[in-house]
Amino acid sequence: MRAKLFLLVPAAIAAGAGATWLAAHAGADRPTEPGPWLTALVGASLIGCGLASWRARPDNRLGPIMVLTGFVWFAGLLSEATSSPLYTVGVAVEYVFVAGFIYIVLSFPSGELRGTIDRALVGVAFACALGLQVAAMLFGSGAGLRCGGGCGDNLIQIFHDNGLARALLDAQRVVGAVLTLTALSLLTLRWLRASRPERRELTWVMLAGNATLLALAVTVVDDLLGNPLNSTPAKVWFATLALVPIAIVATFVRRRLARGSVAGLVVQLGGPTEPADLRAALARALGDPSLDLAYWFPAEARYVTGDGRPVEVPGADSGRRSTFVQRDGTPIAMLLHDPALEHNSELVQSVCAAAGLALENERLQAELRARLVELNASRGRLVEATDAERRRIERDLHDGTQQRLVSIAMSLGLLESKLAPDQIDAAPIVREARTALTLALEELRELTQGIHPTLLVERGLPVALEELCRRAGLPAHLNVDLDVRLPDQVETAAYYFASEALSNAVKHSHATEARVNVAYDGATLTVEIADDGIGGAAIGPGSGLRGLADRVEALGGQFTVSSPPGRGTRLQARIPCA
Amino acid sequence: MRVAVGDDAVILREGLARLLEEAGFDVVGVAADADELLELVDRSEPDVAIVDIRMPPTHTDEGLRAAKAIRESHPSIGILVLSQHVHARYAIELLASGTDGVGYLLKERVADLEELSASVRRVGQGGSVLDPAVVSQLVGRRRQADNPLEHLTDREREVLALMAEGRSNKAIAERLFVSEHTVEKHIKNIFGTLQLPHSPDDHRRVLAVVTYLDSE
Repeated sequence: MRAKLFLLVPAAIAAGAGATWLAAHAGADRPTEPGPWLTALVGASLIGCGLASWRARPDNRLGPIMVLTGFVWFAGLLSEATSSPLYTVGVAVEYVFVAGFIYIVLSFPSGELRGTIDRALVGVAFACALGLQVAAMLFGSGAGLRCGGGCGDNLIQIFHDNGLARALLDAQRVVGAVLTLTALSLLTLRWLRASRPERRELTWVMLAGNATLLALAVTVVDDLLGNPLNSTPAKVWFATLALVPIAIVATFVRRRLARGSVAGLVVQLGGPTEPADLRAALARALGDPSLDLAYWFPAEARYVTGDGRPVEVPGADSGRRSTFVQRDGTPIAMLLHDPALEHNSELVQSVCAAAGLALENERLQAELRARLVELNASRGRLVEATDAERRRIERDLHDGTQQRLVSIAMSLGLLESKLAPDQIDAAPIVREARTALTLALEELRELTQGIHPTLLVERGLPVALEELCRRAGLPAHLNVDLDVRLPDQVETAAYYFASEALSNAVKHSHATEARVNVAYDGATLTVEIADDGIGGAAIGPGSGLRGLADRVEALGGQFTVSSPPGRGTRLQARIPCA
Repeated sequence: MRVAVGDDAVILREGLARLLEEAGFDVVGVAADADELLELVDRSEPDVAIVDIRMPPTHTDEGLRAAKAIRESHPSIGILVLSQHVHARYAIELLASGTDGVGYLLKERVADLEELSASVRRVGQGGSVLDPAVVSQLVGRRRQADNPLEHLTDREREVLALMAEGRSNKAIAERLFVSEHTVEKHIKNIFGTLQLPHSPDDHRRVLAVVTYLDSE
């Protein structure tokens, strides 16, 4: 492919030389446009830059289109030829290059026209440049085709109506002016709406393109007003036109230079990196500050953030694009970036290759965090299930066993009242049974209360804690700063925490007094139980404190123990209430 | 004495009705939930309404709320709340709405028919009843050494507990096998030690004593 492109070079030189010669040797009695120097410059710029771009990006249509536009530009100079066939062809294609130019600026940087408006604009431009021109040529010749004199013969003239020919050419210029201004506003709008990285891509081409379009509009209006050709606006137009291909190639070259930043990235990743550093380094190398990273989490076959939360792959209309990084065929990471980077996939691929190892490291850590997130969730679910089960058992005992026992108590009461006065032996037995039953009910009551404190559900944490302190085996002072109901699992955790801590204070700390402080700041519930006992408590496996810590941590809370020997024990739980 | 019974467990409300009839009460009707009970009370204006604290739909404290509603609409009707839990808080809430003709008993007290009918009668006559388990929780609560309660003698604490249960001086005297005069002496000492304003009214002093016990 590249080798074949070189074949175009001699052809371009030949065409350029011919066109320049024609421009230089046009009849002296008429002004020529654009003159030999501009002819060569514009053509060389279009074909040269077109070839460079074609060679660098064979899959981008911009290169071939620029080359083609360059050749059409040279062909237009045939209108200066004296030979009638050449003159005829030259006049017919004289303005086709304008349609090519509009295609180039609108399709940059992908080489594809993006929407109906773009396609319509280029279509109309082509019809106007070639169609109206050929239509005018059917009617006019010489002055009718704005030729000052010494022109060749128009071989496709069928009618003789120079007036109509001129009118058609005027119409061509009016439509051309409107098209030009439309393209100008489109380009400007597109630039204004672009994201930062996109804008950086578009700026140069937008500036050169808009300058050219503006100069073209002025030229066309100037021409319509009857000013002679070879005017200053026309020269400015041709000069800026030569800048557009240069701007395009410059943008492509700068992209290639951006790949130089990959070398910097490699050096940077050589040192130890934090997750945030890696993101920032990649964002810098790619020139996209909005870059986000997500890592492959094989256990759930999806992508997660650095701290383990799930991430969705962006949809086509989300305004974000994703690039997937693989190592040895297994997915590692996903780069979420600006759509502008899509046109620069070489850079993205180089960056991904350079960062592969760092990304793999980061992925392993993200996987670990995702597993932790999962673990915490399952711990929370376990606590929740336990609580639900406790509630169910309490309800079953209340509705079943307790009621049955109470009904037996009633029967006993009835039996006692029915005992005849002479059955004096039976009375103590009934009383005995009643006492035993009362004890059984008492034990059952203690048990159910321990399984699930109904007061907590019915009246909330402060009331339940108040009752807890009342029943505690030591004087317990309660200080509660909480006037809202909190989520069930938070209240339950806080209650069991206080309950266990108070019974520890009695059983293990040999305390004579305890304080229970509860405070809520709108986000976190803090429960603190301090006693004046012997201290020396620690969280060990199998200790009651371990169970407390588990319950608090399952809710994402923190549990701290401060228990210096001889100076009491202070247990604190901080539970988030989100 | 006319009595209405509200309990969602059919086995308990029928059993209770039978027991009360056996003890000589006139059971005007039974209700399975709070709404039914309120309707029954409106219709038959009993002397006492006996209500289970935990009833549908939420099975929490519907009975307590029904009791408060009856107190408001029919202040003369005595209310005895039955509970399976020793919740001092609920008992205190109930007494706080007026100690005349209210009671809070554990369900299992129905095993002692004599004690049960005495309690129903007391509530029906405008007295108050507080379950001994609740009282012992309040009296037996651990306090710091410098608490005035610690300065009471054991006998005085016994008297205090019986007062809190809603018993009259006469009943306390019978319980402790002492003369009413001795009971009065103890009570004077208790009120002096705890610095409570002396109230000659058996009913009103319950709240004073309970409030004191709860606050300390």
